Amino acid sequence: MVMHVVEIIVSPLLALIIGIFFLGLSRKIMARIHWRYGPPITQPVIDVIRLFSQKAFSHGMMFNLGIILSLAGSFVLILFLPMGNICPLSNSGGMLVILYVMLLAPLGIALSGGEAANPNVSIGISRKLIIALGYEVPLLLVLLTIMTRYHTISIVEIVRIQQNTTWALLDLPLLLSGIAYILILPAILGVRPFEIVQAPQEISSGPMAEYGGPFLALATIQHALSLFIGIALFVNLFLGGAGNPFTFFLKMLVVFILVLFINAALPRLRVEQAVKYLWRWPTLISLAGMIIILIIRR
Amino acid sequence: MSLDLLLIVAFSGALLTYVFGKISSKMRNAFGVVVSLALVVMVALLYGQTEEKIFYFGFLNLPLILRTNMLAWFFAISVSALGLLCIVFSLSYMKGRERGDFYYLMMLLINGAMLGIVFSGDLVSFFIFWEVMSWSTFLLISYNRGKALFAGMKYIIMSILGSVAMLIGMLSLYATYDTLNIVTLSTLISSASSGYLLFLSIIFCIAFAIKNAVMPLHTWLPEAYAEAPSPFTAVLSGMLTRMGMYGFLLIMYVMVGAARVLNLGPGLFKFNYILAWLGAVTIVIPTFIAMLQNDAKMLLAWHGIGQGGYMVLGIAFGTSLGVAGGIFHTLNHAIYIVLLFLSVAAVQYRTHGERDLNSLGGLIKKMPIAFIGGLLGISGLIGVPLTNGFASKWLIYKTLILEGSPFLAFAALIGTWGTILSVFKFLHNMFLGQLPEKYQDVKKSPFSMQLPIIILSFAILLFGILPGIPLKVINAIGVSFGFESLNVTFWGIASDTGALNTINIFAAVLVGCLVVALLFKIGPKATPIAQDDNYAAGAPVPKDKYHYTVDFYNPLYRMITPYLKDFIDAFYMKLAGWTQSLSNGVRRIYTGYVGHYVMYIVLFLASLIFIQLKWSPW
Amino acid sequence: MAYAYFSGRDDYHFDHQEITHMDRNQLTKWLKTPVKMGHKYSLHAVYFCTGCGIIEVPPVITARWDAERFGVIPVATPRQANLFLITGYVSVKTLKAIIRTYEQMPEPKFTVGFGSCPVNGGMYWDSYNTIKHLDKYIPVDGWIAGCMPRPEAIFVAVVHLWTLIDKDMADGYKRYRKDYKAYRANQEQLFGTLEWPPLFPIGESK
Repeated sequence: MVMHVVEIIVSPLLALIIGIFFLGLSRKIMARIHWRYGPPITQPVIDVIRLFSQKAFSHGMMFNLGIILSLAGSFVLILFLPMGNICPLSNSGGMLVILYVMLLAPLGIALSGGEAANPNVSIGISRKLIIALGYEVPLLLVLLTIMTRYHTISIVEIVRIQQNTTWALLDLPLLLSGIAYILILPAILGVRPFEIVQAPQEISSGPMAEYGGPFLALATIQHALSLFIGIALFVNLFLGGAGNPFTFFLKMLVVFILVLFINAALPRLRVEQAVKYLWRWPTLISLAGMIIILIIRR
Repeated sequence: MSLDLLLIVAFSGALLTYVFGKISSKMRNAFGVVVSLALVVMVALLYGQTEEKIFYFGFLNLPLILRTNMLAWFFAISVSALGLLCIVFSLSYMKGRERGDFYYLMMLLINGAMLGIVFSGDLVSFFIFWEVMSWSTFLLISYNRGKALFAGMKYIIMSILGSVAMLIGMLSLYATYDTLNIVTLSTLISSASSGYLLFLSIIFCIAFAIKNAVMPLHTWLPEAYAEAPSPFTAVLSGMLTRMGMYGFLLIMYVMVGAARVLNLGPGLFKFNYILAWLGAVTIVIPTFIAMLQNDAKMLLAWHGIGQGGYMVLGIAFGTSLGVAGGIFHTLNHAIYIVLLFLSVAAVQYRTHGERDLNSLGGLIKKMPIAFIGGLLGISGLIGVPLTNGFASKWLIYKTLILEGSPFLAFAALIGTWGTILSVFKFLHNMFLGQLPEKYQDVKKSPFSMQLPIIILSFAILLFGILPGIPLKVINAIGVSFGFESLNVTFWGIASDTGALNTINIFAAVLVGCLVVALLFKIGPKATPIAQDDNYAAGAPVPKDKYHYTVDFYNPLYRMITPYLKDFIDAFYMKLAGWTQSLSNGVRRIYTGYVGHYVMYIVLFLASLIFIQLKWSPW
Repeated sequence: MAYAYFSGRDDYHFDHQEITHMDRNQLTKWLKTPVKMGHKYSLHAVYFCTGCGIIEVPPVITARWDAERFGVIPVATPRQANLFLITGYVSVKTLKAIIRTYEQMPEPKFTVGFGSCPVNGGMYWDSYNTIKHLDKYIPVDGWIAGCMPRPEAIFVAVVHLWTLIDKDMADGYKRYRKDYKAYRANQEQLFGTLEWPPLFPIGESK
């Protein structure tokens, strides 16, 4: 019981630290790829401290509540994801709850940005929803393939089965699904070529256009957590999770650095190009993966 | 508390309301509310009882039977409770409108007819109440005249086709078994041949599919919902179309029985499998069509069709979790779609009937209760955890995944994402964004409109956090159909293959919100600013033009619009056009000129004589 | 540093012999005054392209001179920023946008005027259409003269701004709040009635 409470407190903190570390690491690595020095890895912490000390402007009640709901949703989602062998709320609905609690974060930002009455925000939100629809089609196919293959809806169970047998990526019937997931991973994380929602040069940072001070600080933390969640989900589903948190974070680091390399090399797509791409090759590949699994099960 | 008293109160209440309306409108309003409240109380007292009452009216020697069991009680309590809330809402909405007596008479009549449908124990009374419900719906849909007449006409023609199909089924049953008592029939039918059962299921399901708007029989629904008066649209979508669901359950699980109905049909094309696939198609396509709508009520109407697909998918799939999920979704959908239509009605009341999403906006500060209703309604519709939509959808998903139908599960899951896009457009274009100049003086909704919205919002959260309360009843219904009992706890379902524990989610979200709110308080308090103090790159914010609503998902529209042309509706319209030209042609026989009639008689006699002379049959 | 001369408040004297070292990794200072340290090492600039001087900014923020290692990046909207660089001449039309942008920034915020034009009119000292003394309309924390200063001058400004923040002398925003009546009067004298309401209630100075 005490272990349980300690896990509930520790896992969001751990996710926060790792998420902020990833944000800082991304800026440093991008800078080094550009042959410049770049900020220190603790730069996002400095930014958040500065933002918390600024006196911002608020557009109304929903503006405040929305960002709180969004960040709370991300924190709650951390509690359902296994990190190594830490998983506080493991038997409350499994993969489906994760899929649905993932909705709270964009919903919160959409609501709070909506009250800002700025069309940049509305365009950003519409882009966010369109790209989410784009990557959800192959993502759902991949998730359903995994759930059908391992015959369970609990993510802890999926991790356990992979720990006992082998990584899902190396499991031959699931290879196509793994490839499809790798193809859509940048879209889930919101890095180039799918960095469409924030797009500072196009729609002045989209949903965050009217955020200042503490609002922006919470939005930065939420971005860090969403990075963490996206990569953690991939590691849990396809790279076998891990037996302890350290191996887990190591795997996450490797995946993140590979994603950063893609981010450094590619420009930004338009929304309809992104959705066309996401509904073409990853969907076909994941569909093929699902048919293979269905044939095997028969 | 007997069933006939219930129905007598329902129908006489309706008539008396009309009579009182001729005396004074305040008396009529009060009496209408009292009647609905009395019905709710009487239905609530019927919980857990199974009784049967037989009347002999000398109608072809067929008794009219009223019976109640858990399934009937479940539907009856939803019908009466939601009817009460809509009548309370109509108190302000219909103030000052013409023909108010007619409106209240029809609302209460429909209420009573739906109660009659669920409480009927034999197919004759079922059919009688079904027909009463159908024509009174037609009358109330066409309340607004104009386009509403056309919408009502479409509805009644399709509904009559369904009723004719049901009549054919009833006649065949009577001819085979000489009785129309549902309980007797369910024991007698179990010995019938597979082919006969298949015929019965299909013919009855055509009627119920038309009512429940399963694709491709759904085309009456969008316009009917859009043109009917808004509180009645809430009743329409919440409970009336779900009478089709009650019919599905009746024919599939009460009459034919779970053991036979899940094995009908040849090989791969099993009856329930095809129905499940129709349900899946009904989930996906209307949800994406809803994204293209610019009219608030049309958008919600297409979602009504889509969510009906979830219910049909759940019960057609045939596992205990699926049936429970489908029935639970009926209740949940009723709650949140009534809430959404009432929010739209509240906005319409204050903005003088504005339905066009492209001209509304920014009403969150002016009508906060309507916004909260809209927000919780769409959360339920999407299925955000801790709302009731999530609980029922979870049941359906789990059974689809674990029984190895990932394609159906995919259809159900992608329906959710289409829903998210279209209802966010709905909420954003109505309540968020820039407030237009002409709505600067909009006032808040009156209390009698706020009360149902608050009650329904509370119900969404209650059934989401404590799904065990309705699940107990639904589990009893499932057991009565012959499925295995689910391990229902207060907070969800306990099971080895993945449990649902909403208390964890609820506690986590609550604590998370508190922690983040505390974190938010670290920073200095934010200064409130006006709407036009907005980032516009240093330029002044243009009035009425700084709002993004038209073509909200423009990049996506270009991709999906070619695939979503409504060719089913075009097909039906063409059929109607042919029928009309055919009838037009037949009409021309009656020219009104007696000479022509004499010529017809002479020609007919001449042809008879010719036939006699040629082939002499007589 | 001989090619960029920074002048701040009248009581700000900087001895060129004392070189400022970055104290970003001194943990005790972070624990004692986190707000000041946060503002020093996270100066996000509004990407407001005032005049000809903006051409000096892109080399600064990209790989050649890399301002990001000091924590300076451009951000999309003034709501997210705390540094405002006026990089060139200010025409009367631009001044309206500058005032609106400045008022949309959250406090605390710092302004630096680049080039000679914001200082005293510079090359356009006798033009009917430019502002000669920007300090009358929005408060400025420091000036760098030059026509145009080199990109390294932006780093000079940043370093001086750090010293000003350390000594609590970067209080342009406090002056704006205190003397808002005077600033607003100057703005109205130039433009007539302004379309936006006063940012702080005039008649009470906090």
